[in-house]
Amino acid sequence: MKRGLPIALALAAIGLTLYPVQATGYGIRVMLQLFMWIALAQSWNLISGLTGYVSFGHVAFFGTGAYASSLLIVKAGWPWPLACLGGGVVAAGVALVIGWPCLRLKGPYFAIAMLGLNEVLRVIASYYEGLTGGGNGLSLPTLYASVQIYYAMGLVAAAVTLVAYVILTSRFGLRLMTIREDEVAAESMGIDTLRYKLYAFLLSAIGPGIVGGLSARDQGYIEPISVFPLIMTITMIVMVLFGGKGTIWGPVLGATVLFAFQEAVWARFIYLHQLLFGAIIVAVVLLMPRGILGVLQQKYNLPRTI
Amino acid sequence: MGVLITPTMIGQVVISGLLAGSLYALVALGLGLIFGVMRVLNVAHGPLMMLGAYTTFWLFHWWGFNPYLSLLITMPLLFLVGVVLQHFLVRRVVDAPELSSLLLTFGVSIALVNLAQLAFTSDLRSVEFLTGSFIAGPYALSKPRLAACAFAVAITIGAFVFLRSTRLGKAVRAVSQSREVAQVCGIDVQRIHLLAFGIGSALAAAGGTLVAVMVAIQPEMGQVYTFKSFLVIVLGGAGNYPGALLGGLLLGLVEQLASLFLTTQVNEAVAYVLLVLVLLIRPTGLLKGRV
Amino acid sequence: MPPVLEVREAVKRFGGVAAVNRVSLSLEPGRVYGLIGPNGSGKTTLFNCITGVDRVDEGEVWFKGRRIDRLKPHRIFHLGMGRTFQVIRVFPELTALENLLVVTTSGYEEARRRARDLLGLVKLERLADEFAGNLSYGQQKLVELARVLMTDPDLILLDEPAAGVNRTLLNELLDAVRRLRDQGKTVLLVEHDMKVVMGLCETVFVLDHGEKLAEGAPGVIQADERVIEAYFGR
Repeated sequence: MKRGLPIALALAAIGLTLYPVQATGYGIRVMLQLFMWIALAQSWNLISGLTGYVSFGHVAFFGTGAYASSLLIVKAGWPWPLACLGGGVVAAGVALVIGWPCLRLKGPYFAIAMLGLNEVLRVIASYYEGLTGGGNGLSLPTLYASVQIYYAMGLVAAAVTLVAYVILTSRFGLRLMTIREDEVAAESMGIDTLRYKLYAFLLSAIGPGIVGGLSARDQGYIEPISVFPLIMTITMIVMVLFGGKGTIWGPVLGATVLFAFQEAVWARFIYLHQLLFGAIIVAVVLLMPRGILGVLQQKYNLPRTI
Repeated sequence: MGVLITPTMIGQVVISGLLAGSLYALVALGLGLIFGVMRVLNVAHGPLMMLGAYTTFWLFHWWGFNPYLSLLITMPLLFLVGVVLQHFLVRRVVDAPELSSLLLTFGVSIALVNLAQLAFTSDLRSVEFLTGSFIAGPYALSKPRLAACAFAVAITIGAFVFLRSTRLGKAVRAVSQSREVAQVCGIDVQRIHLLAFGIGSALAAAGGTLVAVMVAIQPEMGQVYTFKSFLVIVLGGAGNYPGALLGGLLLGLVEQLASLFLTTQVNEAVAYVLLVLVLLIRPTGLLKGRV
Repeated sequence: MPPVLEVREAVKRFGGVAAVNRVSLSLEPGRVYGLIGPNGSGKTTLFNCITGVDRVDEGEVWFKGRRIDRLKPHRIFHLGMGRTFQVIRVFPELTALENLLVVTTSGYEEARRRARDLLGLVKLERLADEFAGNLSYGQQKLVELARVLMTDPDLILLDEPAAGVNRTLLNELLDAVRRLRDQGKTVLLVEHDMKVVMGLCETVFVLDHGEKLAEGAPGVIQADERVIEAYFGR
């Protein structure tokens, strides 16, 4: 088993790298989106899965990254790879500003604060029309770069997963987990819980920020509604819950399975799709709160790095 | 800004604020009951309100049912819905980490909203029943807002009479303060949980019914009320029921005051900024609550 | 020698009730102190106020010559104070070893060595890689104790260390406390088991309804009428 995993990963990496050579435009787009969801889910996992602080407004970072990087491209003429990284940095900055006051709050209060964050950012994006084009949206210069964006997304997804692995096998990760297990005890044992939560929160915002920028670049056009959709937060949460929060491959598994599901159902039956996602959340919370990998982990005594 | 603020405008704003605030207080009281008794943040509170609004709409649409009379139907109906939700779903996560109940009610809220989308479509509906305003001196009082306020006040008073004077109401307050002690005193905590969720849902439904006459009805209409109810609870202090009233009125006032200076779009952010400020400065609420 | 801990007229209220009402105590270094009192007398609340988990409404807490009552718990911990809890609070999804590792900021290798040593001290080396949640009650208590010792604190607060623990384990715990005292550390323990208190503590504080009722050597306290009344009836 131990030997098999790196080999499997290497094969997958090779396969995915070569994929665009003989795939259709549509196929590339699909995989590109899958990478995006993996990056989003894994990022959400970093804060909510590890520390137990549920972030309900995480898509705010996606939208922030989308706008920041698009503005860098349109107004400052930056090349898109750099602009997307810039989107990640701006998203982290927003996370710092929001997190510093809000992470002091106990779990439910933090959740409430995050719920509203999304709406506020959408309102801000709509309001500053001069800058963001307001409700009319923002158009990016035409560019056919699906293949490059495919690789960029893939890199981000891999990077975030790698970060998750590094964290989970470090003392930093252990400390994050103590916050989830018993925050009062953690604080009493010398762990500066606010600082650790903040680190996790910042790290969890970078991925969505970059990916938001990439997605905007790929679409060529953004508007407030399209980059701050509640359904995105919902989807991130379902993916991680389903696959297994607090694990490394759980978000990847959840993202893959539910993305496939989404491709099949969403396009035609959007409300049914969302309804099912709601039902899945309820079912997972009641029946399988640790998610698929979490359950397997417990049952077969698998290592934490699963 | 260059806008002259006259005393009349202030007066108008205060009145509008109180009218709107009474509705916030009503809905928030429902949320506060659920949170106070079970420590569950009912993210599905807004959707429950939405269901109340739709019920009123369909009753009006098909049978010309007086919307205000429909309170007699929407409140018991949503009470039952709340009891069912609590019994089959929420009950299992009351003792789990708060994360679980949060996610559960979140899932329920998504399910309810999309069920509504499927059943009712996202077409905007309205109940054209009461329109226009009373003119009292220099002030214009919107009729539906006045009626909503009147009913909201009546229902809220009823709720407080229940909490203060009836045995069940006292049991509810006891469980809010300490579940263990209440149990030791022979109170059937499970039954109180069912009751609290039912009443909370009924209050949300009442809010929905009253609002149905004033705004466009669509499946997502409740979401903003969920957030504002949370805000009111935070303002008034968790578990502090009279605090919810004051918090609601305060929110109404602040919003109306802000509308004098800000555009409608930015106004939506007012509630959020207020929330963050209160959470930072006085997380136990303006009156004493339990964090 | 200056006292290692000083509590000056501490008051802590919940709602309208004063759980701790103008309590003052002073701890000399290198001694074992006991804190006793009937249930609900405010002992754990006092602990929480000393360690920063709760903030005193009035009064001050001084530790090693520094005022600490406005500091966060993690800062107080790093100044050299450790505590255990009345209800065991190990981190269940971390292994016994990891429970100890998270506590220190020293280098990984050094921390591992020290953690293993401490687990050896409480005879739990073979369970080092077991999830703390899977350990027995007594074993978890020992892990909690080992965890407290990881950073070599000068003052150790033990909240009901003897509760639910069998005779053999109890003796080991008591030995551990005596060793700590011999090393010059100060221990303050909350206990209901009078034999433990009498056998171990040099000075005993008695709390009742949030107020300090009496203070003195165990023998004196045992005979004090007010103390007897507080425990056995009014």
